[in-house]
Order: sequence, then C-alpha cells, then structure tokens
Amino acid sequence: MNTLKLKLLLGGILHKKLRLFLSVLGIIIGVSALFLMNTFGEAAKKKTLKEIETFGPDILMILPGQVRVSAGRAIQTEQRTTLKMEDAQALEKIYGIKALSPLFSGTGTARYSFKTITTMLNGVNESYIFLRKFSLIEGRNFLKGEITGYKKVAILGYKVKKELFGEESAEGKVILINKLPFVVIGVLSPIGIDASNQDQDDQILVPITTSMSSLFNADYLSGIYVAVENPSLIPQIERNIEELLLKRHRVSPSNIDFKIIKAEDIFKFRLEASKLFTTLVQSISILCLLVGSLGVTAIMLLSVNERKKEIGLRLAIGASRRGVLLQFLLESILITFVGGLVGLLIGGLLSIILLPLLKYPWVFPFKPIIVSSALTVFFGLISGVYPAYKASQIDPAILLKGL
Amino acid sequence: MSKPLIQLIDIRKKFQSGKITYEVLKGINLEVYMGDFLAIMGPSGGGKSTLLNILGLLDRPDSGLYLFEGREVNTFSEKELSRLRNQKIGFIFQAFHLIPWATALENTLLPALYGGEITKEKIQRAHELLEKLGLGDKKNHKPAELSGGQQQRVAIARALINNPTLLLADEPTGNLDSQSSEEVIKIFENLNKEGLTIIMVTHEREIAQRAKKIKFLKDGKFIED
Repeated sequence: MNTLKLKLLLGGILHKKLRLFLSVLGIIIGVSALFLMNTFGEAAKKKTLKEIETFGPDILMILPGQVRVSAGRAIQTEQRTTLKMEDAQALEKIYGIKALSPLFSGTGTARYSFKTITTMLNGVNESYIFLRKFSLIEGRNFLKGEITGYKKVAILGYKVKKELFGEESAEGKVILINKLPFVVIGVLSPIGIDASNQDQDDQILVPITTSMSSLFNADYLSGIYVAVENPSLIPQIERNIEELLLKRHRVSPSNIDFKIIKAEDIFKFRLEASKLFTTLVQSISILCLLVGSLGVTAIMLLSVNERKKEIGLRLAIGASRRGVLLQFLLESILITFVGGLVGLLIGGLLSIILLPLLKYPWVFPFKPIIVSSALTVFFGLISGVYPAYKASQIDPAILLKGL
Repeated sequence: MSKPLIQLIDIRKKFQSGKITYEVLKGINLEVYMGDFLAIMGPSGGGKSTLLNILGLLDRPDSGLYLFEGREVNTFSEKELSRLRNQKIGFIFQAFHLIPWATALENTLLPALYGGEITKEKIQRAHELLEKLGLGDKKNHKPAELSGGQQQRVAIARALINNPTLLLADEPTGNLDSQSSEEVIKIFENLNKEGLTIIMVTHEREIAQRAKKIKFLKDGKFIED
C-alpha cells in the first residue's frame, strides 16, 4: 500500500529515463570528482604525515654548509668539510639527545659474482638504523665493536640486495665494495625515497670508520643525525647544538657553516601544498556540482512544463499547492541524491583503483563521504526550489481548455 | 423542494488579454439539485469552460455568490477548496488527463492519495469500479495501451473513487467515436439513476438530449428556452 503511494507520488521520475540520466550526469561527475579529490587530499596528507613519522618528529639533521629546504626536499647547496667526527662526539654530551649517528655519504660500486652496480655508500654507526626507524628483513645491525674496529661489514638496501642477490639470501656473503671485500650482515626492508631525497633502498650502509678511512679517505662528515628524548625539547636542543658547534668551529652566527634541519621544516611546505591542492580541487568540484545542479534545474523545469497537465490534474483532484511543491522538491532531491550515490560509488571505485597505483596509502574516506552527500542533498534542494515553485503555481483551469 | 446542491447568483468573470478586457460570464444564475443531470450547451467562446472551472472550484468568480451545499464558496481557503474538490467533486475531461506512467488501477486511485490514506477499502473500490465499467481485464494496462473509450472509463472510475456528490464533465465524448460516446453517456445515465448529480458541458445535441435538463450558454448568459 505504501509502495503504491510512493509510486503515485514519485513515479514520474522514471518516466523519461535517458533524460533523467543526462540530468544527473553533472551531479555524478561532480560528486565523484569531489569524492576522489577529497580522498586524494586525505591520502596525500596521510602519506606526508607517515613520512614525517618515519623521518621522525624526534630527529634533527645537522648538515655542513648551507642547506636550502625547497619543494619539500632538503637540498645541500654548498659542501663544506668543516663538520668533523669530533663534533659528533662532542654533541653526545648535550642533555636530551638519545642517540646520534655521524654520516659519511659517497658513491661507489658494489660487486657480487658477476653483477656490478653503482650505489650510495653511507657510513654510519650502530645507532643509525634505529634512529632512522629502518628495519631489517634479514640479518642484524652493526655491533659497536664493528664500528670502532674498522670492520668491513655491510647492510644492504632492499634494491641493492635484489639486484645483487635476487631471491637468494645475502647474509654472510662477501661482496666487493670499491674492490674491497665486505661481509653482508643484514638487509634493510623496503623504505622508498625519504625526505633527504635519496632512495633509501638504493644504498649500502657500512661502519662510519671504515667508510672514512678505507673507502673514501676523508676526515670530515656529510652530516650528523640526532635523535632526541622528547620532541618538545627540540627547540632547546637545537639551540644548544648550534651554540656548541659555533664555538667548536670558531665562527660567528652570521657565518654559520652548518644547518640544523627538523622534520617540520621539510614537511611544512608539503602539507601546505597538499592543503592548497585539496582546496583548489574541492572548489572545482563544488563548481562542477553547481553546474550539475543547474542541469537538474533545467531538466526539472522542462519536466514541470511537460507535466503541466498531470500537475493540473493533481491540483484539480485535491492536491494542495504545498503538496505539489513538496512532490517536485522531493523529485529533485531524489534525483540528485541518486546521482550523488552513483558518483560516490564511481569515486570510491576510482580511488580503490588509483590510490595503490600512485602508491598512496589507503584511507577510509569518511569525511569525503559525509561532505559529498551533504552537498548533493543541499544542491538537490537548491536545484529543485524554482521548478517546484513553478509546478505549484500551475493553474488547474488549463485542464478544461480543450486538449 | 429541498435546498439546492449548487446555487449560483449573478456570477461574473472577466479576463484580461493585453489591454482588452472581456467579460466572459455576465451574470449567471443557476440552481442544481441533488440528482439533477444537467447539460450545458453553447458555442465555443460562450463561457462554458469558465463556468465549469468556477463550478468545479478551480477558479473564483469576480463577483456573485456561489453556494455549494448551502455554504458560500468565496469564503473558503485554498486548502478547504482542495479538500472539497477531492471529496465532493469528480472531474471528467475531454482529454481524459490520465497519468501516462501509471496503470489504470493506479490512475483510479490517484484522488485517494490526496484524500488521506490509500486504504484497502479504496483499493477494493477501485477494483470494483473498473470491473463495473468493463475494464476488469485492463487494470494493469497503461493509458497508452487503452482505447479512447477505455481511457475515458478509467477517468470515470477515477472521478468516482472518493464517492463524490457531483460529477463535472467537460466534453466527455469530445474525443470519442460514436460507439464509445454511447457507452460513456450510458454510464452517466446509470450513475445519475443511482443518485449522482451530473453537470456536463457538451456541444453535441444528441449527447445533451440524454440529460434531464439542457441549458444554453451564449455570450456569457443562459438563454432560456
């Protein structure tokens, strides 16, 4: 009985199906775009936040020379040789520093059996992989003795291991790095490109001592990674580090020959960029929704005009003007709502396909769903008001004027 | 004699078209009693449709008095008029005005939608009406699948669903062939015998003659004959 009532009230919607489809197309496109872009915005934010997490809110990076943070990457514009191993040792005494690792980076060749590759060689200490929150899929970390003892041991990045060993286990094998034999003691799990703009899977970690003496014969560092006990102490520690290093290097603050970089510095830009992107796309989607709802308005006006007789009849046999107004308002809302639902479905499907394809983390788009649905109902209401008003103003007397 | 169902006293109606104003109804006086079957004839442009619109509460006169069941219609609100149309008046149109996407049964039930709930009794009554009008096997057909005569019979069923006291018909046979016209006027005669009051506008003399009373409307006034 209720279905009959519903059909008599709203059956007119499905009368012209192609037209109905065309009218909701704009809404479908608008909603799916809105949904997709909201999802992407959320995913991008989540991705950046995750990168901050892996880089660590508790991490400071000290680089020699001038460093510019641009486009979300830390770019070293000028290499200096003023940062020394002794600096790293001195920093250990600063209160609040949990761990630190000196870093010496260089490129070199690695060879195993008949395969040779060129890769980054990063000299570090035993704290480095904890500090960077890297994990191992095979083997173990450096021992303190291996660092102090200038041992020729290596931990391979994921890609390096794949290229040299394939599926074979690398642990315990001997590889040649710059023609010197190193024993592989571990393999890092996949990490990807990090905020220092380096593919962390394409590297070999070796003891800092070995790296500086046997491989590169250098007496300076490429950088120092510092982990603090408590991220809220960062400003204080940053000041202490700066003071200490300025004193050790005997330079004035205006001639500073190093830079301290925090996770925030790097990601601030990216978060802002992704926010800007999201706002931009959202406004475009809303514009699209607006155009879509104008389409619905046009089609509803057409429909009202075409169904004048039906409306007149409804009024003649006892429908109130308010009832007719509500009926057509309901039709518009229903049309846009269904369009919105289809749009959500398409947007959801596309994000399921596209997010993994673009290596974005999966987010359950709770907010986008609510925002999109609320907007469609709102636009449905807007698009229906005028046609519904027109419908309610039809004069039932037209029924008697002949045909 | 009892009080009239409908009483019109000096009803006037003007229409404006650009700068020219026509007086379409120039003082109509009419009394219709329960059980009457009145045919209104006259040339086109004579004000028949306007009069029917006023009688059917679809339009209001500019001046004059319209009493429906003794109550003055002019004082009613839009809502009360809607309710009166729904409960007391059944409409039959020349062009049937069935809803194209609804079946015969659904079309019949349309006024019930606006008279409150579509009850089991109403559905039962819709079935009975359609059967009585010879459409027992067409209940689930859409208007496009029915002949003109059948469509007009669906419209009659629709007009009767809420058990009205007055049936208003505007050229009910205007779009029908002679056989279908005969069927429809026969139905009217039977309904009138059962006590239904009918006012019918037509320009076909042989159809009008089946009514109990004929009135001629010309230039906005009834001609006495």
